[in-house]
Amino acid sequence: MADEDYEAGMGYEDEPPEPEIEDGAEEELENNNEDAPEDVIGADGEEKEQEKKEHSRKTTKYMTKYERARILGTRALQITMNAPVMVELEGETDPLEIAMKELRARKIPFTIRRYLPDGSYEDWGVDELIVEDSWKRQVGGD
Amino acid sequence: MARPEEKLRCTKDPFIEVVGTRRIESIRFSTLSGGEIRKSAEVQVWNSKIYGEDLKPFSNGLLDARMGAPNKLGQCSTCHGSFTECPGHFGYLKLALPVFNVGFFNCILDVLKCICKSCSRVLLVEKDRKEFLKKMRNPRADALQKSAIMKKVRDKCKLSRCPRCEYRNGVVKKGRQGLTVLHDCNKILDGYAEELTTALKHKKDKLSNVSLRMLDPATVLYLFRRMTDEDCELLNLGDRPEKLIVTEIAVPPVPIRPSVVVGGSRSNEDSITVILKSIVNTNSIIKDTLQTGSLVSKCFDCWQQLQLQVVEYINSDAPCLTDSQHRGLVQRLKGKTGRFRGNLSGKRTEYTGRTVISPDPNLRITEVAIPVLMARVLTYPERVSYYNIEKLRQCIRNGPYKHPGANFIIQPDGTKLHLKYCDRRIAARDLKYGCIVERHLEDGDIVLFNRQPSLHRMSIMSHRARIMPWRTLRFNESVCNPYNADFDGDEMNLHVPQTEEARTEALMLMGPIELWTGKQLFSVLVRPNACTKVFLNLTVKEKNYTKLKDEKKEKKEEMENEQKEKKEKVKEWEKFPPGKREWESMCPSDGFVYFRNSELLCGQVGKATLGNGNKNGIYSVLLRDYNSHAAASCMNRLAKFSARFIGNHGFSIGVDDVQPGEHLNEEKKKKIDEAYTKCHDLISLFSKGALTLLAGCNAAQTLEAKITSILNKIRDDTGNAKGFVANSFYTGLTATEFFFHTMGGREGLVDTAVKTAETGYMSRRLMKGLEDLSVFYDQTVRNASGGIVQFAYGDDGMDPAKMEGHDGKPLNLDQLFMKVMATCPQKGHDTLSSKGILQMLKDKLLEHDTSADGGCSEEFKKELETFLKKRIILWENTIKALELDEDHIGKTKGKQKIEGLAANISGISEKQLQVAAAIKIVLKSSQPNLVINLDMQLIEELYMGISADSVQLSILNHPKIKLKSEHVRVVDKSKLRIYPAGTDKRKLQLELHNLKSMLPKVIVKGIPTVERVVINETKKENKKDGTKAEYNLLVEGTNLLAVLGTPGVDARNTKSNHIMEMNKTLGIEAARRSIIDEIQLTMKSHGMNIDARHMMLLADLMTYKGEILGITRYGIAKMKSSVLMLASFEKTSEHLFNASYSGREDQIEGVSECIIMGIPMQLGTGILKVRQRLEQLPEFKYQPDPILSS
Repeated sequence: MADEDYEAGMGYEDEPPEPEIEDGAEEELENNNEDAPEDVIGADGEEKEQEKKEHSRKTTKYMTKYERARILGTRALQITMNAPVMVELEGETDPLEIAMKELRARKIPFTIRRYLPDGSYEDWGVDELIVEDSWKRQVGGD
Repeated sequence: MARPEEKLRCTKDPFIEVVGTRRIESIRFSTLSGGEIRKSAEVQVWNSKIYGEDLKPFSNGLLDARMGAPNKLGQCSTCHGSFTECPGHFGYLKLALPVFNVGFFNCILDVLKCICKSCSRVLLVEKDRKEFLKKMRNPRADALQKSAIMKKVRDKCKLSRCPRCEYRNGVVKKGRQGLTVLHDCNKILDGYAEELTTALKHKKDKLSNVSLRMLDPATVLYLFRRMTDEDCELLNLGDRPEKLIVTEIAVPPVPIRPSVVVGGSRSNEDSITVILKSIVNTNSIIKDTLQTGSLVSKCFDCWQQLQLQVVEYINSDAPCLTDSQHRGLVQRLKGKTGRFRGNLSGKRTEYTGRTVISPDPNLRITEVAIPVLMARVLTYPERVSYYNIEKLRQCIRNGPYKHPGANFIIQPDGTKLHLKYCDRRIAARDLKYGCIVERHLEDGDIVLFNRQPSLHRMSIMSHRARIMPWRTLRFNESVCNPYNADFDGDEMNLHVPQTEEARTEALMLMGPIELWTGKQLFSVLVRPNACTKVFLNLTVKEKNYTKLKDEKKEKKEEMENEQKEKKEKVKEWEKFPPGKREWESMCPSDGFVYFRNSELLCGQVGKATLGNGNKNGIYSVLLRDYNSHAAASCMNRLAKFSARFIGNHGFSIGVDDVQPGEHLNEEKKKKIDEAYTKCHDLISLFSKGALTLLAGCNAAQTLEAKITSILNKIRDDTGNAKGFVANSFYTGLTATEFFFHTMGGREGLVDTAVKTAETGYMSRRLMKGLEDLSVFYDQTVRNASGGIVQFAYGDDGMDPAKMEGHDGKPLNLDQLFMKVMATCPQKGHDTLSSKGILQMLKDKLLEHDTSADGGCSEEFKKELETFLKKRIILWENTIKALELDEDHIGKTKGKQKIEGLAANISGISEKQLQVAAAIKIVLKSSQPNLVINLDMQLIEELYMGISADSVQLSILNHPKIKLKSEHVRVVDKSKLRIYPAGTDKRKLQLELHNLKSMLPKVIVKGIPTVERVVINETKKENKKDGTKAEYNLLVEGTNLLAVLGTPGVDARNTKSNHIMEMNKTLGIEAARRSIIDEIQLTMKSHGMNIDARHMMLLADLMTYKGEILGITRYGIAKMKSSVLMLASFEKTSEHLFNASYSGREDQIEGVSECIIMGIPMQLGTGILKVRQRLEQLPEFKYQPDPILSS
């Protein structure tokens, strides 16, 4: 099943560079129904804000399980809608498996906006967060 | 929708701005005035006839076509939609006379109590009014506080004379019958009322009391209309008060009260239509009488009737109605099947299945077998892409009847194509990227699997589908426990998530493995089921057999092959079955199972070792040291293996297998006889009256307690004698035993029946109370409206499910130490000294502190240090033990124990006394009096410190004895004289006797509310060690404050289990602690081990508002601010009416509200937002053509 597959495909250091990104981003804009329009509007101001916040982010540097589920779900949805895949595929066809592979390769082009209770927020890139994989922790074997 | 001719009328389409989809942000509850109802209505309803002769609805009747289509045949004449398309339109019904709205009746009464019945101003002095208004206008006051202020205002409005118009107001009361308001002016009317009554006496026919006036709805409406806006605000009214009175009824759209035509001529009407019809009838009669001007009394009766009919329309269960056959509006909303709980909080869904379940050990624990029949109906909409187009084409070709098929194709433009009615080959050929194919469920799809009652989160879990023949849902029997399922006919539900996001979330968050990760849950819930246990027990027995050896070898090989296939990293497993070769006989030390470096060194693996109920089972260890997948696959293999084994080996037992041996029977008999003689001795002692009483008990209670303890002890000792029943079914019950046994059996049955209902309700309440709590990104636990419940979850922010140690400690250092010893064997001979170890620890910890992460937490450091010190001491002791005699070690250990024990409470015994040595009546001619003699000897013996003076004081303070200090005279230290207060000689005798009977009830010393006090010896005096005996007092009764104030009581160690009292005397934090302690005590005494963090959360929820709130309908109403959530819990209509009275607004933020409104909630995966990253956006080389080129 799925879990064994992941172990096999873990070497992401020597991933080939992505040729697809360039013509892919535009398509994603269209496909990504909810987030894209907002982004276009507030993209400039936000980046400045993020720079300011860079050193004063307080929330955990680990990805929570809810974040992981949400990101994988959103990404899997994008992939079903023919978004360009950011990693080399090895025969996977299930969008969720592809999304998981992308997450392991830290290639998911998302930013997580974490809202604090007072309404302020922190932006974290998916690649900045430490993903705790249950399948990664298989220690003590051979 | 519009017909062509209507479209012609409008030459231009009006401009409508496209705003896209909108989201409900909040809901405001308010009341509608008559005008507003009229405006939003399409038609006025006044005709009481419903259908004409040709079954066409009458215009202006209750089923007027302008209010929507009445059934599937009809059509709405407002929007020309059919029954399914048109949601319906409102009508209105003008009432000839206003009536009260029964839902607001109490509010109307409250408002009337507060206003002057002449000038409509609030009955408050100007100063009070301003003060209350200021409080009410405080922007920080929430809805709850406001309604509390309103209550205060109402209580303050007791003025009989209006400060502004001098009108005398009476008391406003609810009328006895019907829905009427009475204005009782009895107490205020002075002289002229008497005149009136005397005048009326001369009249022949008795008229009712004049001072009791009725405030009819019209008068009240008039009064309400004249109220000032400021007064409305003061009374917490969200809107004008006249809206509380019904002048126009909004006639609901026809589709919500459909009419069913029966047999072509008659029709069955909804009960709302029926009630409305009678309202229309009564209304027209009133209108007629008003116009023609006939008898007032007749008109009044009709008005009363109209009032009751409107009440029935709104709430047919209202107490003022005698009995109603109909269902009013409130009844539609209320209760389990009402709109709120039945249709809004939970809905009927598609893509759902339900059948009988059965076990299948060959499935993985993450799988569920779905019958093909079901898989052909349940579909998943898969979008066609490059990767799946071929598969989906094949599905389409297979069509709806062959299994890996499909039912529908949805084109990108939204059209839906049913594959039953089209050429499937053409459809498959024309399939394009972007189409959505509703394909049948296939292997590997994610489904949610659920069994009711869903009491905890493991009751619904996501599994992978396996499509199988036949008709039952099947799953691995290891998953029975979390669902609490068995296979005696249980049915289970299946849901298929329909979007990619939903399935991902289900897989990531709801999978059995994800949910079981917690050790606590794991140990309790997931264990191999009965059949596996049988297998394990069989293998134990089998050790003596040799003939089965070949078969065993086969098994072993099978296991090993599987091992190889799976390349499992876990070695424990491998060693388990082959280890059998060396086992020789069954011996008690089989229970000592020891794995070292993944090798089974000794012991027999049984169910306890596998991990049911304890944290040290194999599965738990696997889970901790490897991961959940390893544990799951191990569990899976065990289930598979044991099923195969039993399948080959067979399992049957005979009577001789369960027959107890001679020796066992003898032992058992001895034990029972012993206990019986003890009991008989006790009973004989009791009948002689020589039984030494237990503290705080009388003889019968002592006997019972003692006998129970003895009998309980036998049960523990012999194992199978249950209470009084000494025999088993096998040995045969005596008649009495049989009788008692049936009693016990019946009690058990009744208990389970009652318990299920009770626990169901309890878990519902708990769920409603805790549903919107979540940990936010700043680590605080808050409710949906942002109120802080905890600053860090469980005070340390750790997940109780992931705790490894005992009592919720994060680490089990002993286990870790053992693991490190095993995995890193000692090389060479250099060892650290004890000092060196501690030094190293310090260095290492400091090293970590300087790292970027901020180092280890204080608790961890402390725990590690104590652990190491303990180890060192242990080690040192071992060395010493080689040198010293055993006695020494025993002593040092004893001392340590004493130091560890906390100091106990000590104090003097405090007793409520009703002591008076003698009360005599002295009858002398001059001054008859009572003489009280105090028994000074007794008082001194008990150190009570009572003197005549204190007795005098307590007599004077007694509320029922009205004596003054001159009547009670102290003669000397132990003597008092009491003279009766009255001067009347005739009554003197009586009075003296009265006093005599009253005096023994005077409490002279002690706390009146305390029933009794028991001295409890916590530690016995031990002369060897020189320890003193320690006592504490168990006080039955209340008044903690007085106990704390008693001299000699150690206040710091005194506590009460009365939570409200703890709150009152020691404050809310003490109350919280007390809640936690009480739950913990209860759970512990029943042998349950629950992580303290759960109880902390519950206690914090109960106390975070600053007062103690129960998880009941009253407490939850004070905890939550959302109207919709409260309405979906209990008392639906009350909450809704109150909300619209005060014009409350519901920010849709909690879980219940979001579900009702169909909005994603701000919890879990909804707490964050995902944004597409644009940094990597490539720069395009081409540019759009410039509009203006230079």
